[in-house]
Amino acid sequence: MAGTLTRPTRTVFRRPSSTDGFWGWVTTTDHKRIGILYGYSAFFGFLIGGIEALLIRLQLARPDNDFLSAAEYNTLMTTHGVIMVFLFVMPMAAAFFNYLLPLMIGARDVAFPRMNALSFWIFLFGALFVSSSFIFGTAGAPIGGNLPGGAETASWLGSGPNGGWFGYAPNSLTTYSPGSAMDYYTVGLQVLGLASLISSINFIVTILNMRAKGMKLLRMPVFVWMTFVTAFLLLFSLPIITAAVFMLMFDRQFGTVFYDAAAGGDPVLWQHLFWLFGHPEVYIIVLPAMGIVSEVLPTFSRKPLFGYSAVVFAGAAIGFLGFGVWAHHMYASGITPVAQAAFGLATMTIAVPTGIKIFNWLGTMWGGKIRFTTPMLFAIGFVSLFVIGGLSGVTHSIVPSNWQQTDTYYIVGHFHYVLFGGAVMGLFAGLYYYFPHLTGRMMNERIGKLQFWTMFTGMNLTFAPMHWLGLQGMPRRTWVWFEEMGRGVGLWNLVATIGAFTIATSVLIFAINFIRSKRNGTIAEIDPWDARTIEWSLPLPVPAYNFAETPTITKLDDFWHRKYGEDDEGRAVPRPDLAEYLARLVEDGRNPKEVIHLPAPSYFPFLVGVGIFFLAYGLAYLAAGTGLPLLVTGALIMIGSFVGWSVEPLEEPHDSQEVDAV
Amino acid sequence: MAHPTPKQYIRVAIFLAVLTAVEVGLFYLEAGVDGVTPSMTSPALLILAAVKFLTVVGWFMHVKFERPLVSRFFSIGFVIALGVYAVVLTEMALAFARG
Amino acid sequence: MSAPHDVHESTGIENRKLAMWAFLSSEFLLFGAFISNYLLFKGRLPVTDALHPVNFYDIPFTSISSFVLLMSSLTMVLAHHALAEGDQGSARTWLLATAGLGVTFLGGQFFEFSEFFDAGAGLGVAPVWSSFFLLTGFHGTHVAVGVLMLVILFVISLRNDGLSEAQGLNLELVGLYWHFVDIIWIVIFTIIYLIP
Repeated sequence: MAGTLTRPTRTVFRRPSSTDGFWGWVTTTDHKRIGILYGYSAFFGFLIGGIEALLIRLQLARPDNDFLSAAEYNTLMTTHGVIMVFLFVMPMAAAFFNYLLPLMIGARDVAFPRMNALSFWIFLFGALFVSSSFIFGTAGAPIGGNLPGGAETASWLGSGPNGGWFGYAPNSLTTYSPGSAMDYYTVGLQVLGLASLISSINFIVTILNMRAKGMKLLRMPVFVWMTFVTAFLLLFSLPIITAAVFMLMFDRQFGTVFYDAAAGGDPVLWQHLFWLFGHPEVYIIVLPAMGIVSEVLPTFSRKPLFGYSAVVFAGAAIGFLGFGVWAHHMYASGITPVAQAAFGLATMTIAVPTGIKIFNWLGTMWGGKIRFTTPMLFAIGFVSLFVIGGLSGVTHSIVPSNWQQTDTYYIVGHFHYVLFGGAVMGLFAGLYYYFPHLTGRMMNERIGKLQFWTMFTGMNLTFAPMHWLGLQGMPRRTWVWFEEMGRGVGLWNLVATIGAFTIATSVLIFAINFIRSKRNGTIAEIDPWDARTIEWSLPLPVPAYNFAETPTITKLDDFWHRKYGEDDEGRAVPRPDLAEYLARLVEDGRNPKEVIHLPAPSYFPFLVGVGIFFLAYGLAYLAAGTGLPLLVTGALIMIGSFVGWSVEPLEEPHDSQEVDAV
Repeated sequence: MAHPTPKQYIRVAIFLAVLTAVEVGLFYLEAGVDGVTPSMTSPALLILAAVKFLTVVGWFMHVKFERPLVSRFFSIGFVIALGVYAVVLTEMALAFARG
Repeated sequence: MSAPHDVHESTGIENRKLAMWAFLSSEFLLFGAFISNYLLFKGRLPVTDALHPVNFYDIPFTSISSFVLLMSSLTMVLAHHALAEGDQGSARTWLLATAGLGVTFLGGQFFEFSEFFDAGAGLGVAPVWSSFFLLTGFHGTHVAVGVLMLVILFVISLRNDGLSEAQGLNLELVGLYWHFVDIIWIVIFTIIYLIP
């Protein structure tokens, strides 16, 4: 991947001239490297969010526990949600989008390589901003509320955002959250939303415009389709949450009264706007995992995906219907009976396309020659656990039943089956599946399987008991539970805590496996999984320029059909020259016939990110008076960087740039 | 496809200006004349706004002369916005009326 | 060959133009939220009737500033047309005219806001006022960003070689943005100001 650029143009300052080392990563515009940056950042987020979950589970392991204070619990519960959603699952999905999208459609890079880098840096600085609330933020003593022991301030662990990831008004207004912590939430969500908005536009244009010759829409891998749907969901749901938190920011800092019931505002408005974003967000989280699983299952079943077009259209249908079910989060918020009936029906309807997908995945495995590799195990884990989460979700669509379950641990159990059993399992399937692609080495299978079973067991130990806890009446978002609640509650809380540590063990096993395999894993040959899609026709690790020659696509699963013919009964038969074909792919892939021009590295996306970082602090402290200088500094850095950006050409003039074919 | 000439653009702008004048006229009709109620003028005002909207999109934003994908792209956002916010407003008004 | 910009565009629409359309499409959801706020709160009055925004509006004044913004769309499209014809001089003039009309509109809004504040309105007087100021202020910010981009284009056009072909696309993109801000105002003018 290393390359040297000669004679960079001087603009504001010297253009980065190397793609190696620290600055090589900071200035990169290569979609693969940006994907890797997203991946590592997201995994770090996963670790932090996971540690928070362990602390929460320790607090809830025993009755009347005082391991955490109430303030600390509130902050940990809120930031666990915010981090897992915005700083783990979404960026991890973005890692896969970035890395795979151009490879799967046969493109040199995304449509806007520098904007792509910009998305990452805005995301990273937004993540740092939100996380820094632990250091700089204050919870404050709410009016009418009290911190335990009469304390006026909370420890650093209790100083982050504390109004829930859903930030319900009026709890998130200054009356009940007087400290600066929730200002980090309002501004942070706008920054993170901006990052996702930019990347969603980038992906939409890339998919529509950058496809290789012959890559028609209905020849695209399902993962690309799911990326496409996800990008549209982001495009249309992010503006809604941006408007909502923008209004919350004004309510908190500048005296507007949108959500303040005492002044005539309406807190239910927040709920509508939040869930108008929040429900599409559920699909934003789970669709990428569905895409990955739709790639993994056919490969290891040695069969094409059953009902390709049904899976694609079901994905699109989920996208559209996802905008019509938000109020099922609000049955207990005093919405009208008409709305309850209508949203109940819509929610049941959305189970149909989801069900179609599940049957198609089962149909793919049916009669296939299944290889139980680690990625396959995770994919099957995804399907089975997602079914449980999906079914318990359908039970919530029924209003009277929902009233029983709402705000209990039943809900916590349900959505963790969807988000952990679904999204996380799917993402791990992807990590194992694409590890050889990233590193050129294979992940250790034995440790991998051990990790799968540990995680699968831990996941069920943690989240299944939450259903019983909820049905027994244990409320969610609760700091302590009491001995009088009975033995069942005590037992299952303890089991859930044991399960959480089992998951933590499995993540540790994964980290060890990852580091070991990256150093000493078996060297991966081309196409190690005998896969179907064109990204596997590349030599491993992938050269910086991706395809030496842009491929021409003639079929769905093009690569497979180049490797295999069919006998009279439709069974796959390797083409006689398969070995030579693969050897030729490696040879040709590493030796491009002509000089390939790539988008050159740039400092400016990073610098714009730095500007936005300052801008964010400025906004959070604007009403307090200290924010203005920060705001101005940030704006100047940002505008200056944009000007530098606009006079810097995307590529160096052609004669001055050569990229080594390593 | 041939792009319009400046003359055509100016004609479109005059059309838009006339519609705006009619809108303001309707406003004063409703405010100043007995017997004319908002229920009569409001639909007319909405239709006029829609015509102005579509004229600007079609002529000045060139959607008339672009591939259909552009208008499809643009309408998705508009339709989703109209749909979801209409539901939110209706629901919140009904819930508010129930007390 | 094979550099990103050489790859044929599968839809036949230039990348940056498609991106701009996608962005504008998503902006409907943003403005939609703010317009909805106003509609939601305009019937809910915790204050006296006299303090309702409808009793503050100066329709002749706002009609004129609406007209100004509408005409700026004409000058914008003429700038684009002139550049397409290779007429750098006219393009420059129309660009400046568009920016000037935009500034006039912003000045009108500034005047309107200060009149309202003097007469007792404010962000926190009632939710309907919160909605009014956030909606029109947010729109005004969009106009200001548009003016900034127009001025940058104008400065570039002053250089010896004028606006290049690549900047012609930039001008078209700024134009799309500008017209979009105009159609949002068409909606605001009718729904907020004219319909009682």
